[in-house]
Amino acid sequence: MNSALPEMLQCVQTSENIAGNGTDMTVLERQRGRLKWQQQQLQSQQLQQSYFNENQLNLFSLSQTQHYQDLMNNDSAFRELANQSMKVDPDLENGWPNFTKYPIPRTGFCGEMKGFVSSGLQTDALEMDYSISRTSSCPPAEAVAMAGDEKGIESVLTEKLASTVGRDSFKKRKADKAQNPKVIVAGDVKVKKIKGDAEEVESKITEQNNSSNNRETSADTSKENSKVTEVQKPDYIHVRARRGQATDSHSLAERVRREKISERMKYLQDLVPGCNKITGKAGMLEEIINYVQSLQRQVEFLSMKLATVNPRLEFNIENFFAKELFSACPDSFPSVGMPSEIVNPAYLQFNPAQQVVSCGLDMAVNSSDMGLRRTNSSPVPVPETFLDSSSFTQAQLSTIWETDLQNIYNVEFHQGRSSAFPSQAFTGSMEANNLKMEM
Amino acid sequence: MAVHRLSLNPSSYKTRFTQRFLRALMKINKNKNRSSTSSSFQEIRRGRRRIKIAADGSMASAVGSKRAWSRAMLYKLRTRTRHQAWVRKISTAAKRKRDVGNKPEEELSRTDDLRRLVPGGEAMDFCSLLEETAHYIKCLTTQAHVMQSIADFYST
Repeated sequence: MNSALPEMLQCVQTSENIAGNGTDMTVLERQRGRLKWQQQQLQSQQLQQSYFNENQLNLFSLSQTQHYQDLMNNDSAFRELANQSMKVDPDLENGWPNFTKYPIPRTGFCGEMKGFVSSGLQTDALEMDYSISRTSSCPPAEAVAMAGDEKGIESVLTEKLASTVGRDSFKKRKADKAQNPKVIVAGDVKVKKIKGDAEEVESKITEQNNSSNNRETSADTSKENSKVTEVQKPDYIHVRARRGQATDSHSLAERVRREKISERMKYLQDLVPGCNKITGKAGMLEEIINYVQSLQRQVEFLSMKLATVNPRLEFNIENFFAKELFSACPDSFPSVGMPSEIVNPAYLQFNPAQQVVSCGLDMAVNSSDMGLRRTNSSPVPVPETFLDSSSFTQAQLSTIWETDLQNIYNVEFHQGRSSAFPSQAFTGSMEANNLKMEM
Repeated sequence: MAVHRLSLNPSSYKTRFTQRFLRALMKINKNKNRSSTSSSFQEIRRGRRRIKIAADGSMASAVGSKRAWSRAMLYKLRTRTRHQAWVRKISTAAKRKRDVGNKPEEELSRTDDLRRLVPGGEAMDFCSLLEETAHYIKCLTTQAHVMQSIADFYST
């Protein structure tokens, strides 16, 4: 049975090519082929029997013999043509040369199918076309060569390859399945060459939602060969299966996804402080969520703080200065804003306050800032000034804050540069207490 | 001081955020000055919300439309005033649906929590959610830093 299959496939190829150039083959040619086929049929009775067992053989007619005979005569011519035009893996071709010698009883049948067949049969023919197209050394092509349409064959073959690949995902036939192992065998001969492409094409097929591995591999080969000249689409992800790992398209995609996720988790681990010891997605997720929540709460709290602090101050002047502050010391305590630690913390506290006061007095912040910083002017009693200048009822609240905050700042400065986090938490708690007192 | 001026990175998130935030604060300040200066709780709450919105909005606009979370946040802020009630209704309905459809609370899937935290995280797959979270965390830290420095600067 197996031996008969390649012949059957070749027959399909014949018919396929003929179908592709259906208009090229006249009825006369087909009849001639049928006659020849009839002769061959007598020689290979046993093979025919196996074929006739197939469902499709029911439609066989003797008239198709001529067709086949015609095709067989041009074996050599076809070979040349196949070598030129076929873009199928040459190994496939080499692996099948002996097939041309075998009679292909179904050739005519296929041709007939192409010529006359109803839609139902046509699908079968297409099926066989798909499977046959992979074989390069098929006499059917000779018939097309006979027709003198070399270029047509090329296009036909490539079309068939492309179209059959397209039909890959839809059709499962015995012929195909029988064909697949042979194609894979041939493919294995050139594993190194095909593998990379197979993997690449596998990913392509993933997008086409192919079903079986075999199908993919075989489809890959033909696809790869047919699309040799095609430009690689940029949206395909080229994945190479690692040694000892499943090459299923689904598992490949899964692996890619898992790698992406682990990469991002590692990045998050660097971002979230204190996550070095935690391994595993669940623990990391927990930490990340806690961290995001704490950051959001912090922002909310700071906005509340700003809401109370806000009204007293002008912001247009502070724009530039604030930027300076922030850019100079991103991580240090914000109000420091000084390049060196030499500056007396007391001055640091008062300098901004002084500037604020000077703002109220319409003095340029920058100059005052410079002046204040360079000339160690005596600290101005800021809180009182603030109280006097402010006319809002919130000033009392803020005063309390300020005194406490000043103490806090002193403490913090003496402690050295602390990270923003604990300092903020500290001030937060202080201010919360103040709020409680007020409210 | 000149050194510090030069060291400013004009295109960093921090400077962009600071600029926008300060501008927003100015606007709020002006509005506050114009309006009554009552220190009732409601006013404080409203003021706080306004500042928080200003902070979030300025952060999101500083990031731009490159990130999904900033886009989602901007959309939320822009449609907030117009369709506040409508959005709330939709979100609660969606939440109810999700709670019914999803597994019960036995499943300690923190993914949903994370989705809730990150703006726009509802409609993302896990992989991009992680990416957005990383970027969001970076921007949140920047925001917190800047706001802290502003608050400290003005509170002293």
